[in-house]
Amino acid sequence: MDKVGIVGYYYMKMSPDLIYGRYNLIFETVRGALDSVNLKKKDITTVISATNDYYDGRTISNAYCVEPAGAYLADESKAEMDGAFAAQYGLMRILSGNHKLAVVWGGSTPSCYPYDSAQLYQTDPTFERPTALVNNITAGGFQMRAYMEKYGVSAEDIAKVAVKNRKNAAKNPLANPEAQNANITVDDVLKSDILSDPVTELMYAAPCDGLAAILLAPEKQALKITDEPVWIKGVGSNQDPYYLGDRDLSECKSMEMAAKMAFDGAGITAKDVDFAEIFEQYAHEELILAEAIGLAEKGKANELNSEINGDIPINPSGGAIAGHAPFATGLMRIIEAVKQLQGKADGYQVKDPKVAIATGQIGFCAQNNILYVLEKGGN
Amino acid sequence: MTEQNVVTNKGMVRAEFNFWVGKYMDKFYDNLENKKIVGNMCPKCSDVFVPPRQVCGKCNEKIPLDQNWVDLPDTGTLKNYTITKWKVTERGSRKVKDSVIGMVQIDGSNTAIIYKLSNIDPAEVKTGMKVKIEWNDKTKGEPGDIKGFVKA
Repeated sequence: MDKVGIVGYYYMKMSPDLIYGRYNLIFETVRGALDSVNLKKKDITTVISATNDYYDGRTISNAYCVEPAGAYLADESKAEMDGAFAAQYGLMRILSGNHKLAVVWGGSTPSCYPYDSAQLYQTDPTFERPTALVNNITAGGFQMRAYMEKYGVSAEDIAKVAVKNRKNAAKNPLANPEAQNANITVDDVLKSDILSDPVTELMYAAPCDGLAAILLAPEKQALKITDEPVWIKGVGSNQDPYYLGDRDLSECKSMEMAAKMAFDGAGITAKDVDFAEIFEQYAHEELILAEAIGLAEKGKANELNSEINGDIPINPSGGAIAGHAPFATGLMRIIEAVKQLQGKADGYQVKDPKVAIATGQIGFCAQNNILYVLEKGGN
Repeated sequence: MTEQNVVTNKGMVRAEFNFWVGKYMDKFYDNLENKKIVGNMCPKCSDVFVPPRQVCGKCNEKIPLDQNWVDLPDTGTLKNYTITKWKVTERGSRKVKDSVIGMVQIDGSNTAIIYKLSNIDPAEVKTGMKVKIEWNDKTKGEPGDIKGFVKA
C-alpha cells in the first residue's frame, strides 16, 4: 500500500449538551483541522463525512453539510457508519491517485434526539422491532453476561476497566466532563445504576455531543504539509452476522479478522503494538476487543496492565467511555493515537510510542469492526 | 455561546413504514397464529433457523421456499439474559418492575430469539434453564403472538 499520512486533526471538547447549532459545529471542526496545519478550502480535493440520517434529523443529511464542511463544489460523499469507516473511504480516495487532500469528518449531537431508544431501529422490523426489547443497552447486557459466563470474568474485573478509562478521561482535557472522574473506585462503578444487568451506568460509554475531523494526504503531499505525519500502515475491517441470536457474544470474530487483515497489511503482529485506542461501547467490550485483536488470550484481557504507563496501554485518552459522540468516536480514537505518536498527549502521554492501533465499530455489540495500524513519521 | 433556542420538529408528516414480511415470514406467522413454531434448514450446513430465512449467511446458500421446513416444539433453552428497569422505547423512562429479557434457542434450532421471561423471580433466572412459550390467548399472526417464555 502506498503511504498515506494523517496530517491534521481537530475535535472540540465533548459535552452532554453543546447547545450549539450543528451547522456551526461542523464548520468549526473542519476548519479546526485545516487550521491545525495552515491549509485552506482550496487545498481540499475530497470530503467524506460520517453521519446518520436519523441522528441528523433529515434525509440525505450530507446535502446539508456541504458548505460548513468545505465541500462546496467539491468531490463529496458520506459513510453512514462510525467515522473510522469514513476514514477508510477517505484513504481509498487518496489511494485512487486522484486526490491530494481528504477531509474526513463525523459526529452527532445526541442532546437533540433519544440515542438509546433510537437503536431499536437497528433491529429487524419484521420480527424483533415490534416487541421492542433490543437496543444498545439491553444488547450490552447480553454481551457482558456472555463474556462473564464463558470465561469466569467477574463484574469487578470489568468495573476496573471503567475506573481506568474514567481516570484517564480526567487527564484528557477534551473528554466529556461527565466522564471525567479522577477519584472513582470499583465500588462506585458496581453500585451505580443498573442499566441492563450486569451493565451499570458507569460501565457504559454514554452518548454525548461531539464532532471530529482528520486530514489525509498521499506521502509526497503529506511531507509538504507537516514534518510530523502519522502513516497508515495497515487497515482491516470485517462484519459479524446481523442477528444477535446468531452470534457468540463472548468474543468478536469480526474484530479478529479485521485485526489480522490490518496486521498482515502492515507486516507486524499484535506484539509490535506500543499502545491501543479501542472504541468500546461498554467496559467489558474493551476486554473482548483487546482479546480479538490479539493483545491477550481469550478471557485474559483483564490480566493486562493497560494503564498509561503499563505494559500495553489501552485507551490512555479514556476511550469511548471518556465521551462517545456517535460517528465521531472512531475518528477520535485515530486522533488520540496520532496525538500520542506525535508526543502531544499532554498529561496522558504514553512513553515514546512508535506503533499504535486505533479501532472503530458500529452495530449492536460491535457487529462491524475496523482497525488501523498507525506509525510515527518524521523525526 | 448563548444559542439556546430549540425548534422541535414533531408530527409534521406521517411517515410510518409498512414492511412486507416476505414469503418465508408469511409462513412463519401463519403457523404462529396457530400456536406452532416452524423453522427452516440450510441444505448445506443443516443449521435450523427460527424465524426461517431465505439465505444461510454462513454458506450463502438459498433455502428453497418449498423445502427444508422443520416443525419445532414450543420449548427451548435460555442461552443468555439481561434484566432491566428501563423502557427500551423510551430511555429515561423507568418501569416499576424489572423486565427479564431472554435469548431462547428453540429446541431443534441453531439460533436464538429474544423475548421476555415472565412469572419468574429474577434471582431464579439461570443460563441453560429450560423454558417454554407462553402464547397470547388471541393470536394474530404477528411477533406478539409469543407473549414470552416461562419456566418449562
